[in-house]
Amino acid sequence: MKRWQWISAISFLAVMALSGCGPDSGGQSSDTVLALPWDSIEARARGTTVNMMMWSGDPLINAYMRDYVAPVVADRYGVTLDIASGQGNYIVQTLMAELQAGKTQSDLDLLWINGETFYQLRQIDGLLGPWTDRLPNAAWIDWENPFIARDFQQPVDGFECPWGNVQMALIYNSEKVADPPRTREALLAFVQAHPGKFTFDTQFTGLTFLKALLMDIAGGAEALAGPFDEEKYARYSTVLWDYLRQLQPYLWKEGKTFPEAVAPLHQLFANGEVWFTMSNNDCEVDNKIRQGVFPPTARAYVPAFGTIQNSHYLGIPRHSGQAAGAMVVVNFMLSPEAQYRKQDPAVWGDGTVLDVPRLEGEWPAKFAALPIRQYGPSREEMQARALPEPAPEYMIRLAADFRREIIEQ
Amino acid sequence: MFKRNRTPRPWSPGLLVLFLLTAVPLVAGLGYALLYSLGLVGLLREGFTLQHWGAVLGSMVFWKSLTFSIYLATASMALAIMLALQLVLRWRDTWQSGWLSYGIYLPLTFPAMVVAFLVFQWFTGAGWFARLAYHVGLLQDVDQFPAMVNDPWGLGILLAHAAMATPFFAIFFGQLYAAEGLANYAQLAASLGASERQVRRRILIPVLLRRASPTLILYFVFVLGSYEIPLLLGSQSPQMISVLAIRKLQRFNLQDIPQAYVICLVYAALVLVVTPMLLRRFRMKAHE
Repeated sequence: MKRWQWISAISFLAVMALSGCGPDSGGQSSDTVLALPWDSIEARARGTTVNMMMWSGDPLINAYMRDYVAPVVADRYGVTLDIASGQGNYIVQTLMAELQAGKTQSDLDLLWINGETFYQLRQIDGLLGPWTDRLPNAAWIDWENPFIARDFQQPVDGFECPWGNVQMALIYNSEKVADPPRTREALLAFVQAHPGKFTFDTQFTGLTFLKALLMDIAGGAEALAGPFDEEKYARYSTVLWDYLRQLQPYLWKEGKTFPEAVAPLHQLFANGEVWFTMSNNDCEVDNKIRQGVFPPTARAYVPAFGTIQNSHYLGIPRHSGQAAGAMVVVNFMLSPEAQYRKQDPAVWGDGTVLDVPRLEGEWPAKFAALPIRQYGPSREEMQARALPEPAPEYMIRLAADFRREIIEQ
Repeated sequence: MFKRNRTPRPWSPGLLVLFLLTAVPLVAGLGYALLYSLGLVGLLREGFTLQHWGAVLGSMVFWKSLTFSIYLATASMALAIMLALQLVLRWRDTWQSGWLSYGIYLPLTFPAMVVAFLVFQWFTGAGWFARLAYHVGLLQDVDQFPAMVNDPWGLGILLAHAAMATPFFAIFFGQLYAAEGLANYAQLAASLGASERQVRRRILIPVLLRRASPTLILYFVFVLGSYEIPLLLGSQSPQMISVLAIRKLQRFNLQDIPQAYVICLVYAALVLVVTPMLLRRFRMKAHE
């Protein structure tokens, strides 16, 4: 062979290897776990190591997992829980790369995801399921609650297990803002009167805020229910862009740029550069004040037009090698004991997905006696203004069109 | 016979290992990116299509991003080179001995993310400099501090890259200065009647820049493709090319992924074609 022929042959083989055109042994061993009784699943889980990938941006959440969940599952069930940092798009990219390469066993066994990632993982057929009905503690899940049973208008169908429930809250500095704006019109008037003190990020949190504005324009909580509707989107998003163009010159940095993610927005708020931030975790204001990140004058509220309430979930990759271990860990995370601890504002403050009145023994009373949050509205107060997540295509379109209509203008 | 002795064996083990570690992954990666961009591989592939290439090449966002990246790489390199030449030609004695001779190495140990974070802390609207200026009465309000982070001109990115490159170039120019014996040339020129300014502009700077040109070109490519600094300090529009590519790769719409590969391929083609051309040209000049 001549030299160029060698080069071509080696390069071709490498391309084929990378693109997954080689032999695919198509490992589906996790599927067999789903047919086992729970005792066998627990027995199979003992001695295994479960690799979990989750967003690790909050010290309280990290401490809950590291200092509570991991030691308990190791002690009671013999499962070692290894936690790696990564969220949404990173999880999707990792699983896509594995599937494209024909990898038979994933490096990941348990994923913390939300609706947008669920939608993407279902698109690439990356999730194991249905498996949630196998968990004994799943019997306590509040499936009657549409904010739990449906994720971005998609039925979860046992392919992901609800773990917690949150609602978006706007956060403001009460030292600077006596009475925060509660309607779209009031927000516009406030921002015009106080230039540079309001903005939102261009990722998940900011887009969730835009979805609430879009639903307000569309006419309320049920206006965008059901599958994506192109005609509705075109009609209401036009009004949204007009509204944002009125707002834009008075936003932080005159709306010429926006924070890349909610963490930089929190930093701007903590610095005093802006007077508002926002969070998908309605208890975050309490957490951040307790950590000393936000000023003690920070307060959370839900405007009259409402905010999106959604649940976050746990999924297992289709080609996980440790599905039994992952299911045992999730079953513990769903237990009244773990959910109760998680809902304590001093621990995390994450809403439970269990139907509390149905719980046995002391649990309903214990949940009722949990300390209430100090700096944000109560869950009951927020529930009245909770908006359901619209179909995932609304977010995909808003993300792309917000860039085209506002940022790149 | 004579010719055969001079030609290195084409498949010596060392060359083969080098080839396997460098060229093969590169070619394989580019090949995979090409197949992905044409819709031929990937979980969501839909068969051969040129629509992703059309979407990228027909978009002003991409061309703006490429122009912005070239502008920032050029501007930050120019600033760093000017500062480094200043350090070498004017204040060499000050920093080439004593504690400063160690201190100049310190910025080289900082990862790009740390430099980006420092620039953010110092120059953001409510950062250290803004607060300092406010406290000493230079500003009525911290808001009046000029936008230097997340600004449309990329000033924060420029500063961060210049801060990283200046000590590197200063050390490099300093070593070239000694290795090329430039002090002797300067002395000779001065004895023939050249002024200090003439010595600097006609002899020292041209020699240093020509000898350093391959390194400068490679550093330019490094800045052009940098990611962490523009991610933290850049504005949402225009974005540097690597930030744009990652955005397309990792955002909500999985159908945008092939566009990310198109962006990477165009960038790679640009770098792989232009860099060797420039290197060859400057090498020839350097040996003139």
